[in-house]
Amino acid sequence: MTGTQAMADTSRLRHGVFHSVSMLTAMFAVMVMPIGGCSKSTRVTRVDTNLVTDLSGRWNDTDSQEVAKTMVKEALSFPWLDTYTRANGRPPVVVVGTILNRSHEHINTQTFVTDLQRELTNSQKVSFVAGKGEREEIRDERREQAVHAREETQKSAGKEVGADYIMKGNISTILDEADGIKAVFYQVDLELVDLESNVKTWYGQKKIKKVVERKRMLF
Amino acid sequence: MRVALCLIVLFGTAACSRTVNRYALIEDSLMAGNTQRADQIVEQAEPDYGAESHVLYLMDRGMTLHLTGRYQASTDMLDQAEQEIERLYTRHLRTEAKAFLINDSKLTYEGDPYEQTMINVIKGLNYAVQGNWNEAVVEARRIDHRLNVLGDRVNPKDGYRDDAFARYLSGLFFEIAGDLNNAFIAYRKAYEAYQQARPWARTPVPPSIRTDLLRMSQALHLDQEHEQYRREFGELVWQPYSDTHDLAQVIVVTYNGRAPRKEDRLIDLPVSLDALKLVLLTKLPPRAQSQERRALESVLYGLNGHVVRVAIPVLVPQKTDVLYAEVTAADGAHSVQARTQLVQNFTAVAEKTLADRLPGISVKAVARAAVKYGLADGVRHGARAAGGKDKEARLIGFIVGSLAHALAIASEEADKRSWRTLPDEIQIARLWLPPGSYELRTHSVDHNGRRIGHDSGYAVTLHGGETKLMTERVIP
Repeated sequence: MTGTQAMADTSRLRHGVFHSVSMLTAMFAVMVMPIGGCSKSTRVTRVDTNLVTDLSGRWNDTDSQEVAKTMVKEALSFPWLDTYTRANGRPPVVVVGTILNRSHEHINTQTFVTDLQRELTNSQKVSFVAGKGEREEIRDERREQAVHAREETQKSAGKEVGADYIMKGNISTILDEADGIKAVFYQVDLELVDLESNVKTWYGQKKIKKVVERKRMLF
Repeated sequence: MRVALCLIVLFGTAACSRTVNRYALIEDSLMAGNTQRADQIVEQAEPDYGAESHVLYLMDRGMTLHLTGRYQASTDMLDQAEQEIERLYTRHLRTEAKAFLINDSKLTYEGDPYEQTMINVIKGLNYAVQGNWNEAVVEARRIDHRLNVLGDRVNPKDGYRDDAFARYLSGLFFEIAGDLNNAFIAYRKAYEAYQQARPWARTPVPPSIRTDLLRMSQALHLDQEHEQYRREFGELVWQPYSDTHDLAQVIVVTYNGRAPRKEDRLIDLPVSLDALKLVLLTKLPPRAQSQERRALESVLYGLNGHVVRVAIPVLVPQKTDVLYAEVTAADGAHSVQARTQLVQNFTAVAEKTLADRLPGISVKAVARAAVKYGLADGVRHGARAAGGKDKEARLIGFIVGSLAHALAIASEEADKRSWRTLPDEIQIARLWLPPGSYELRTHSVDHNGRRIGHDSGYAVTLHGGETKLMTERVIP
């Protein structure tokens, strides 16, 4: 091997080593060093309350409102309402009972009950009376009035309007999940029961199906 | 410039690999019965956990809050942990690459599958202690879903693909909430899971599951199953559901001992004869695994430049001394006694989980060590070549190269993270009592029949059909 060849080989080796070191270093630095300017900051945006916000796939305010609206509308479109109104000369009185949570999520059923109450009240087709918990509070208030309020302003006991029907039901879920794809199937069952005869006057069902997909790898 | 950048990065990672041993302080506080202090230690250590271990912080905090009796706060923490784990399903290439080049503790911690199941178990217990059985049942449903998904994902011959204890606890929740059908299914799955895990779980089938299965199958008129269990279990004293329905029930859950911890097992591989001599020299006694010794080894191996270090996690059991706890309920005239039964052995579960994961961890660790070695060697050659042939430049090359090798060795450590505020074992006792007021006392007994830990006592008033669940933490 001549001196020139040896020098050329050394140069190539040096170049090769430099190249590999540069590559490795660059790769290491890009992957390891935190990228500047990626810092998160809180941003608050006001949105329309009717805007559908499906963030996690869980039961949310949109589901609660939509189900309540659809199911009350459906319940009031059935013949039992006209039949009762004609027979008694007044709209029926309805109370909302217990909505059981039989799902995989900690659902605040009270919000759903409130949505049902609102839809029933605003329909103007039925009279609506306070539920069990609220009644206790109102009775306490009347008892307080009997002691502390002026006589002409006191509200007397025994004049409550009894409900003709109770609306009750449950929310249940079926889950299926594999490879980052989760299917959540919500089923809301509601029924209207005649408080005198225990006859189930109406039975409604609303189903919601959501598919949540997650990517396994991102850059 | 490039070399300097690389070194800065390596320096930074070495500094980040510092771990804070907070668990000794937590365990001391728990041993002294000071759960508040244990919770404060976890709370104050939040910055030390860092972003990579935020889920671990939430799990540790969820547990210490549970022990202090702040059940809603504990549930909130564990809720966050659960959501974070869901989010972590999506992995980030940059984080994976960073962990591959430095060490696995740079990965975002999402907990082992049994730890993820325990999130729902502790949440369920939070609701149960407060008597909120409907919400406890929601956690039972979540446990069922989690374990079903795990069962689909994990190879049937592998170890942890179901959780007998979580299934059993779900059965309790369903039964107490009045959902007997789901209770029966949960008990049956628990019974099968205990049997399947027998080779490694070191947890025999708790005797109470047999009576639970007999009681539920009879209550549901599942005559065929009932007869099958009667034949299988032989002569067993059990009460029909109709006899227990009007009684009150006390469930005592004891958390005994400390969960196992992980340590580094360092394997130093010499790639030259000189390096072999050096490695043998450093392996001479005394073999204390102190930080100073590791630093010294890093320097020596760095100077030599021909040693590759691989770090593998090993589990160190911290077995409890508790054999069982004696629970006594006395109402002045009568007293009823029961012994707790082992329902979960976390040390065995953690050992099996690590054993299943070890081949993957080892392959990754060897590959990482090889890449680090190549990188450090590249830096050494690069620095030497950049400096030219004079003596001073060669010296700079040697120093830079040695430093790169030393940092590659120093940054190698195993991922030693685990949910260490969990106990070593969980035991359960169930007592059916006539309605009334009771003085409830528990004391733990060790393998020699001696009382250990603190005796505890509560006054409870129980109504017919009511269930009260209590928890007890015993450290030794």
